[in-house]
Amino acid sequence: MNFELPLLAFVLASAVATAVLRDVLAAIIAFATYSLGIAVVWVVLQAPDVGLTEAAVGAGVTTVLFLLTIAKTVRPSGDRLLERLDVPALGVAVLFVGVLAATLGALPEIGAADNVVITSEVTHYYIEHAYHEAGVKNVVTAVLAAYRGFDTLGEAVVVYSAGVGLLVVLGKEVFA
Amino acid sequence: MSVDADADADAEAAETADDLRSYVESPIIMATVRVVSPFVFTYGLYLMFHGADSSGGGFQGGVIVATVMLMLGIAFGIDPLREWVGESTLVLVVAGGVAAFVAIGVGAVVAGGGFLDYSAYGIHHASKYGIEVVELFIGVIVASTITGLFFAIDAGKDGGDNE
Repeated sequence: MNFELPLLAFVLASAVATAVLRDVLAAIIAFATYSLGIAVVWVVLQAPDVGLTEAAVGAGVTTVLFLLTIAKTVRPSGDRLLERLDVPALGVAVLFVGVLAATLGALPEIGAADNVVITSEVTHYYIEHAYHEAGVKNVVTAVLAAYRGFDTLGEAVVVYSAGVGLLVVLGKEVFA
Repeated sequence: MSVDADADADAEAAETADDLRSYVESPIIMATVRVVSPFVFTYGLYLMFHGADSSGGGFQGGVIVATVMLMLGIAFGIDPLREWVGESTLVLVVAGGVAAFVAIGVGAVVAGGGFLDYSAYGIHHASKYGIEVVELFIGVIVASTITGLFFAIDAGKDGGDNE
């Protein structure tokens, strides 16, 4: 069953809708659908950990935070559904997509046996040793919290700094 | 378009903005959140604790636990929720989570191993339990930070300053 093409079409359509819709509320909802589509793309690429994060953060939390943010804005008057095209911005976007698309040919096929990730020594080391060294069945978690625990501490501190940074910007001492 | 029509449109726009801003006491949303939130909370905890053996982990679980707070805020009003949580609780919880993570790492050094070298603790399955405790603290950090962002962004709705 080939569902990749309809899935990509869905993701592209919701991305374009996010960019061109004039009403910010509609754009935010389109952005949430886009995140949902990307989450399914991650699952198709067999990365359920990333898919979960995308679904929870992209489709869930950021949508609510965006909705809170626009509560102070007013909706545009008039009946026009789509935003006027900004030609220079569109040019830059198309150029950027073109540069990225030029690298697509260099990517291996999904699940190809000669994929550099599969042939890499590090991958084999983790898959062979993760269970008896770290004692957990999910190799991703073993790498995240045991082999690279220090990096993960850094990530947790990044989240902490995001909160502290917001408080500093707002000039407050508590989240209230 | 005449000036009057413009003014009308502006007034209408301002009204919609008011609608977006104000809290709606909807029995449907409240009943749904009441039913759904314990399950979402359990799922978040499951992802944190079970991230070691299946997909998931502290970051994902923490975000889903934070979603419970977001749902409660939307259903029952953000201001009552903020009062219920308390003013400085979230800051203390975030800082405590980071401190606990660092303490686990330093504890391993004290016990004679490397930083975050769980096996130095010398208990049965030290690495497995170490990973799970660390995931739990990551979840605490992420969940309370996101709830904090939610409160802080909402606090801006009543004007520039909210003191």
